[in-house]
Amino acid sequence: MKAASNKNLRWQAVVAGVGGQGVLFVTRMLALGAQAAGGRVLISEVHGMAQRGGSVISHLKIGDFAGPLVAMGQADLLLSLDPGEAVRNLGFLRPGGAAVVNAPGPEFLSPEARTAVAAHQVRLVCLDAAGLARAAGAAKGVNLALLAGAAASGVLPFGAAQLKQVVLGASPASRQQVNQRLWQAGNEAV
Amino acid sequence: MKAANKQQILLGNEAIARGLIEAGLHFMTAYPGTPSSEILPAVVRFGAELKQPPYCEWSVNEKAALETALAAAYTGKRAACAMKQVGLNVALDPVMSAAYIGVVGGFIIISADDPGPHSSQTEQDSRLLAHFAKLPVFDPDSPAQARDLIAPAFALSEKYQIPVMLRPTLRVCHARQDITLGKPLLLKRPANFQRDPFRWAAIPKMRLALHHKLNGKLAAIAQDVAADPALNIWHRQPLARKAPLGILSSGVAAALARDVLAELGLDVEDGPLPFLQTAVPYPLPLAPIQRLLASCSRVLVLEETEPVLELLSPQRERLWGRHSGHVPSAGELTPDALYEVLERALKEAKVKTPRPRGRLLTVPDQAPPRRPNLCAGCAHRAAFFAMRRVFPRGIYPGDIGCYTLGLNQGAVDTCHDMGASVTFAAALSRVYQLDGQAQPVVATIGDSTFFHSGTTGLINAVHNGARFVLLILDNQTTSMTGMQPTPETGLTADGHPGHRVDLLELVKGCGVGQIEQADPYDLPGFFKVLRRAKRHVAKPEGGVAVVIARHACVAKDRGLAIPRQIPVEVLAAARPAPPVFSPQVAACADCGRCVAICPVGALKRTGKGRVKVDKKKCLSCRLCAAVCPTGTMVLEPAGGCTACGLCGAWFACPGLARSADGHVSIDRSWCVDCGLCPHVCQQGAIVAQETPTPASQPA
Repeated sequence: MKAASNKNLRWQAVVAGVGGQGVLFVTRMLALGAQAAGGRVLISEVHGMAQRGGSVISHLKIGDFAGPLVAMGQADLLLSLDPGEAVRNLGFLRPGGAAVVNAPGPEFLSPEARTAVAAHQVRLVCLDAAGLARAAGAAKGVNLALLAGAAASGVLPFGAAQLKQVVLGASPASRQQVNQRLWQAGNEAV
Repeated sequence: MKAANKQQILLGNEAIARGLIEAGLHFMTAYPGTPSSEILPAVVRFGAELKQPPYCEWSVNEKAALETALAAAYTGKRAACAMKQVGLNVALDPVMSAAYIGVVGGFIIISADDPGPHSSQTEQDSRLLAHFAKLPVFDPDSPAQARDLIAPAFALSEKYQIPVMLRPTLRVCHARQDITLGKPLLLKRPANFQRDPFRWAAIPKMRLALHHKLNGKLAAIAQDVAADPALNIWHRQPLARKAPLGILSSGVAAALARDVLAELGLDVEDGPLPFLQTAVPYPLPLAPIQRLLASCSRVLVLEETEPVLELLSPQRERLWGRHSGHVPSAGELTPDALYEVLERALKEAKVKTPRPRGRLLTVPDQAPPRRPNLCAGCAHRAAFFAMRRVFPRGIYPGDIGCYTLGLNQGAVDTCHDMGASVTFAAALSRVYQLDGQAQPVVATIGDSTFFHSGTTGLINAVHNGARFVLLILDNQTTSMTGMQPTPETGLTADGHPGHRVDLLELVKGCGVGQIEQADPYDLPGFFKVLRRAKRHVAKPEGGVAVVIARHACVAKDRGLAIPRQIPVEVLAAARPAPPVFSPQVAACADCGRCVAICPVGALKRTGKGRVKVDKKKCLSCRLCAAVCPTGTMVLEPAGGCTACGLCGAWFACPGLARSADGHVSIDRSWCVDCGLCPHVCQQGAIVAQETPTPASQPA
């Protein structure tokens, strides 16, 4: 699968999680994927204090944008490594956007929240990335398993194979095997 | 490695570094501080593409950094100096004179602002300080523009022999953007210091002449800037007819406002609003701004964080901004803030928005954002726990770094500016002493912060006979900002030979009478060291006692920080019971230790050699029984978690998860098997695991 023309591509995403979970890594992989597909890239990252276990989000804008932040109600995708952080950041999603969340099921949302999400026509993809990562023998690889799941569920503006290539290209030799396993686990779980 | 012409996704700070290397930088200094920290390491990295890379140093503080780079620029070299915005306050003394005296080689002061603030004490706007110091200031809107402004900034600096400021905000520094790399530039500029005492060592009378000259330079610079289309960007030129609203903007606000206008369906390039972005807010480029004002009924001014363009512009009564209340006077101009500002301004100016923002998804059950915490296995956590145990009624002035997160352990009472822990401790202990009270005060400061600003306060305290304990949390690195080396390591930014500065000897040199160095990972041993410091402070001939808590940073080198992994487990809950005061078991010494250490104030001295236990308040944490020297306070360890909450309140490790009913379990996704928490729990509930599960692997 290959994105046909990216001249008019305008795509915005928010990646959420807790400091130390690898939010920045996921965002950079998405950016490299977009760049490989010919898109212009703007990212906003969080460094410093919040990286010590606090709530962390990064913004990614692909296409003809000038500023690096996503406005509430404009994101095409929310990718969250933590269910609590997903709840906090759902407001970024545009009507009809997609949320890919590290959670075994939609139970992290209250019944009212689930109704609101459905009314906003959000496509909710829940993936137990933590469980998959543990099973793959790399408990801290939640981010990669979830990214693979997002790619497999077709919510990205470029193909899963393309992104996999980018991820493995950015992985050091010592992590190749583990990251292969994590990718496969996330990819097959969707 | 040759990288020119290659497209790369660069961090804003890397883009700034690239700009410096592509503009022939010779000499650079910096002190780390979010959001500026990544500039200098990137200069070192890109500089390696040159046959003769620039000299780079991490200076001990911003004042040293600024003076060092400034003097290099006196000799004709191109120099730069990077810091965060509050660092500019530290460097302000030399900055003020630098404008008057000027430079020969180009000199760029990079001061990174933090609207929000996300990682700073204030939201101060360095552009106002540039105005105050009479320095031209460049205000980039993106990594790409930041890179592109460096060469013109050097050129302007050299043309007028004046230092210039580059003021990126966090959303430039920590944005990433695809950028086509240019060629690194090697400028041949042999050092050439021209002796001229009337300039370089000007007496006050000469300073007046220099001030007149500076004013002349600024007027000429304003003309130059006004005439340069690259510095005054018309995203939409004035229309034939007068527009109801125009926009004047600079920095990231200019970029985000364009995105928001596009989302509202108002095409910026062909739309109804004249839009001028100036890359140099000071000295103000008057002509283009007058042209904008002439073409619009009203002008909305969008800038961060203070109203600089707004204050300097003519016809202020026609501006909408902070003074008119259209733009919030605090906080970052996020896209959402800009939506509100623009929607209101467009409505008042009667400009239609083709695509108003739709309904937002609001979700009811949002928890407050998670607070940051010290890493699992961080030695600071152990030091803070020990401090709370040995000085349960202390006042704890803190300082700036990772260890400000001692807040989570109730171990930080004040946090003000770099080095203020030391001066605050001296003052706080003194005022109680003046009232005839012995109030224990324990200050905490990190090693890098101590080198930055600690010694002045310490010398002041020793000289004036202050009495407090100073705990220097020494992990031999600058952790919060990304592990920059401290003077103690002897390592330099670009690998040029340096020398170690010994922390212990430095403290000794400040005249401190009681100094001990200890490892907080050995908690029982560390208690003893703190008790000795406590005794020294109380002695008639005592004074300041310094304890250097030395242990490697777990985020920098986990293997070094945790040489022996001790997996732990939490034993099953037992029933909580309050301690029993049993004078029949032993005689109470009426020392008051149990009363002092109780985290909830459940114990009271009766004055008759007895202690009363308020069973309603008591958490059964067993601290009182643990510190009782006579054994009068009796509570056998429960041998299991009683949900007392002590580890949460005083240790606050992310590896210790608490269930809704308060019981503790090990969160293996955070735990690093440091083995410290068994020393924290007084119930014997957290113990080394009998059959270890495999340790969690670092990602």
